[in-house]
Amino acid sequence: MILLTNIYKDALIAGIQVKEANLTVSDAFKDEMTALLDKGNKYIIVNFEGVIYVDSSFLGALVSSLKYALANQAEIVVAGLNKDVAGLFQLIRLDKAFKIYPSATEAAERKS
Amino acid sequence: MAVSKKILLVDDNPLVLEMMGRALSKEGFYCMKANSADEAMAILGMERPDIILSDYHMPDVDGFAFRQNLIAMPVYKDIPFMFLTSEGDNELMLKGINLEAVDYILKDTPLPVVVSKINNFLSTVREQHERTLKELSVAAMALNLHSVPQRLPVIKGFEVDFWHKSFQNYPGGDFIDFIKIDERYTFIVLGDVMGKKWGAWYFSFGFLSYIRAAVRICIAEGNFSTKSILQKINAVVYHDPVVNDVLSSLSLLMVDTQGASITYSGAGDLPLLYYNTVDKSLKQIGSSGMLLGLMPDGDFDEQVLKLRIGDRLFIFTDGIIDFEDTNGKKTDYNTFTEAVKPYLGQSFAAFKKSTFLQGKTVAHIDDCSLIHLQKTDQ
Repeated sequence: MILLTNIYKDALIAGIQVKEANLTVSDAFKDEMTALLDKGNKYIIVNFEGVIYVDSSFLGALVSSLKYALANQAEIVVAGLNKDVAGLFQLIRLDKAFKIYPSATEAAERKS
Repeated sequence: MAVSKKILLVDDNPLVLEMMGRALSKEGFYCMKANSADEAMAILGMERPDIILSDYHMPDVDGFAFRQNLIAMPVYKDIPFMFLTSEGDNELMLKGINLEAVDYILKDTPLPVVVSKINNFLSTVREQHERTLKELSVAAMALNLHSVPQRLPVIKGFEVDFWHKSFQNYPGGDFIDFIKIDERYTFIVLGDVMGKKWGAWYFSFGFLSYIRAAVRICIAEGNFSTKSILQKINAVVYHDPVVNDVLSSLSLLMVDTQGASITYSGAGDLPLLYYNTVDKSLKQIGSSGMLLGLMPDGDFDEQVLKLRIGDRLFIFTDGIIDFEDTNGKKTDYNTFTEAVKPYLGQSFAAFKKSTFLQGKTVAHIDDCSLIHLQKTDQ
């Protein structure tokens, strides 16, 4: 399992359990995200706390999950990005596609 | 390519773990040790070994149950698995082998033999892998499929060149193209399909076809706007079920030799790096567009840049700014800026030989592509 999930208020927090989010886990991540959306979760917080590196394969899986979420009237936000990863999101304008929160708790609070 | 030797040892006996760990480390293996199936699962969540060597008799979750759990998880199912156990019962051995284990080794087997078995297996996997890779490459060559150009275009008053390295020598998701319309206009294309290896490589041709078609259609209609070309490509990609689940970045530049100008639009790409020869400054040129196919409206913009003799533009994909230090992998745009600075007074050919780019060849972190454009004479 790439994601460790827990419910906080009306949000589902999906914490990434690897330090390097790359090609080797991107397919599994996408499958797990699809399953969470299929279960009817409408607000998923992908928590990057502890992740030090994200490659383009993983970002592709994340963005693809977002497209699936939007088609299912659900929302995916991200939280806990370290400085480098946050910088990358900004550089390639993923900050326009995802709401970014400093922490998963804040992401859940702001939704409420 | 050297055989990767990352092994996960699973045994509830610390003595066996220590002994096997030592013997394998001496043979150049990187050993991860777990004293239970649960601990092994935790390690697997962090790192992927090339092979797992597991005991059968373990409390709570035994070796067979551990193997069955792995088979049920697509992400771990394909990691080669060997049993190393003192259980010599024929029926159990058969059961173990039937669990898609590549071998079942008894613990009284001499250590050098165990090590040789593992080494031989990994070498065979690597050889098979290289053979397949070669066959696929030959097939791709026969089909004349190239995701990077075979020759450089001649653009009057400009010098263009590129450097490309694919991830672990697989054809990958980065693609480069130069579309020369006439003596006045040439388009420069740099894209990165989000993914690696064959899957991404395959889709890069779909994207390239759309881009080439969109450029030609717009030009035929008298439309020389890179922004509207991107809008057209985005609309098609967004609605095409074949590629709409695959995202790609794109830097699209139109070189106008008459106006000595560049028109640039980007889709989820990294900012270009612009070197101004007059004030000797380096500046990022960013665009607003999102990844191709992400949203129905990609929010694209267009910038026009007048280049003077000596001015340079660097266009690149994220592999160029990925690096690895003692704390792990990182992404930092400034590493490229700093690396290129000492070479601004030299040719691009000199930078291609720099330790920075040569280091990318060795590190194999991601597909890496870099295009260099320089304004030369009038």
